Amino acid sequence: MSIKIEKFLCTAVALSALVSGLSACGGPKAVRGSDVAGLDDEAMSTGLDRRDLQLMLHENMASLQTSALVKRWQGENRPAVAVLSMRNDTSEHIDSVLQALITEVETSLVNAGHVRVISRDSQPEMIAEVEKQQSDAFDASTVSRLGSQVGVRYFVTGRVYNADERQSGERRVQYFLFMRVLDVETGDILWQNSAAVTKAIVQ
Amino acid sequence: MTSRRPRTRADGLLAVFGLCLLVLLGSGCASHSDGTQSARSALDANNPKQALALYNKQLEVASEKELPKDTSGDNTVLILDRSMVLQQLEQYELSSRDLEVADKQIEVLDFSRQTIDDIGKYMFSDDTGPYKAPFYEKLLINTQNMLNYLGQGNLNGARIEARRLAVMQTFISDHEGKGAALAGPGSYLAGFAFEKSDQPQEALRYYDEALASGPFASLAPVIVRLGAKSSYRTPRIQKILDQAPPAEPAPSAEGSAPSEDTSGELLVVVNYGRVAAKVPKRIPIGLALTYASGIISPNDVGRANRLAAQGLVTWVNYPALGKSGSVSEPTLKVDGSPEPIELALSVEAEARKAWDEARGTLVASAITRLITRLVAGEATRKAAGGGLVGTLLSLGTQATLTATDVPDTRSWATLPARIGIARVRLPAGKHQVLVSVGKTEKQVTVDLTPKGWSVVSVTSLR
Repeated sequence: MSIKIEKFLCTAVALSALVSGLSACGGPKAVRGSDVAGLDDEAMSTGLDRRDLQLMLHENMASLQTSALVKRWQGENRPAVAVLSMRNDTSEHIDSVLQALITEVETSLVNAGHVRVISRDSQPEMIAEVEKQQSDAFDASTVSRLGSQVGVRYFVTGRVYNADERQSGERRVQYFLFMRVLDVETGDILWQNSAAVTKAIVQ
Repeated sequence: MTSRRPRTRADGLLAVFGLCLLVLLGSGCASHSDGTQSARSALDANNPKQALALYNKQLEVASEKELPKDTSGDNTVLILDRSMVLQQLEQYELSSRDLEVADKQIEVLDFSRQTIDDIGKYMFSDDTGPYKAPFYEKLLINTQNMLNYLGQGNLNGARIEARRLAVMQTFISDHEGKGAALAGPGSYLAGFAFEKSDQPQEALRYYDEALASGPFASLAPVIVRLGAKSSYRTPRIQKILDQAPPAEPAPSAEGSAPSEDTSGELLVVVNYGRVAAKVPKRIPIGLALTYASGIISPNDVGRANRLAAQGLVTWVNYPALGKSGSVSEPTLKVDGSPEPIELALSVEAEARKAWDEARGTLVASAITRLITRLVAGEATRKAAGGGLVGTLLSLGTQATLTATDVPDTRSWATLPARIGIARVRLPAGKHQVLVSVGKTEKQVTVDLTPKGWSVVSVTSLR
């Protein structure tokens, strides 16, 4: 009997130590992406992250750079371009990510050197007015009027939409980044392309 | 490669004590609904600020601006609870944040495989596992968040929630064959969000879904207006268009030309009352076996009957919806004139229906746990070699398991019992809006621009 009691006490102490040890080891901690291999590669959710955006943007910008429009721009001595907001037609709250995307598009255009990019910060009210008019079908006369007021020859615009499906235990979200360039004078679409990425929660 | 030694009786004893210790560490004896009782009482006393402080305390955060370090587990349910209190206090942005966090957590929980949790549920109590939200809660997360966004005038956010709701509706309809009756307010708000975003086709599609779940007289003139802008038709929409009287000129501001539509639109959404909280319910084993018939295995029925005959099992505990509180119907006055409020959804009625349907499964689960507990006690006695020590350990095991067998009373405790919607077309300009729900009154001045809109959201969780 005394041996049993002794064993019980030992077990109780051991279990307590185990529990304390576990609680001391657990808990979240901050890490730096450059210190943890593959941290930026892992998907954390079905939302869009930096890698997704870069993939879609790279595909679209590669299409633009090889398009006839760039040849036209080269002949126009760096025309002025404004990048409008990308409309969020998805089922995810990714508006802050899409704001970051505008900057990425601007950077890409500036570095390519074919156009002058008019900063959104220089005429925020006018840009906001243009974006208010933004819909699936741009009204050519409105585009022309607002484009002249902003002082640009082309608008870069777009939207992100998705196909969101859910099955037992799984969810798949296919995102499409659709971009296009409009001629301010005519309202014509001079280039457009769509790039896709898929995010999912799988078992 | 590890060497194995034969199991001894002492090992059995150690395992039992280890099990008891883990159970006591992992579970409290109070149910979830006990834990939220004080916050719910504060809401009953029309003191949402106190309720908010109590929820913050339970979440171990200094204020509602903070999220807990861990948003999973039972904290998900508490975050859901807090979101509606924040909505009542018109802190729409924070309410949205809470709903979005809970939405994601509940989705992850739905997808997780829980072998260990299932063992816990089998041996101990239903509330040892992760929270599984019933379908009506899942559908109302996006509906309520849509309202938060509309209350802030944010159509983009409302459209995103509308799409999320559509995904969830399809999933629940396909997998559980449920949820159609709950679509009313969500589809109505989604239609409103797309209508005001100048997307008439999408708006009509959502309004048609709303009409499938209720008559919504306020939608008839809207359908007629949108019908002129879009060719989208269903038998319900066509019927409204066919029955529509010739178009009348919209109310115009004084001095404007009669043909010019200078009217705006006011949408009032009232969340009122609360769905009854879940409570542990105790019923005799005989009645429990009747409820669980067809679900519980014949083997378990036989065992339960044998244990009942020995007097070892007399009562069974399972989670049930408590009694409904009294709900005061809301009234609306615009510029002093009463306006009708349509009952968009009785969440309470749908929740009760869902629980009635689930009762057999819940009771069967409770009976299974009870049998397992008694069997575990017997196994302990045998492991200890019988005698006084074995009997004491057996009783100890059963007592521990009984004490920790708490029916799962987790639920979205601040889910409104009913949702009412009113819609009024008004001349552009300022208007006084007064909404009364019981002793709660909300008076606001809305300033409508020509063709503009305003959403007034009133939440009274008494």
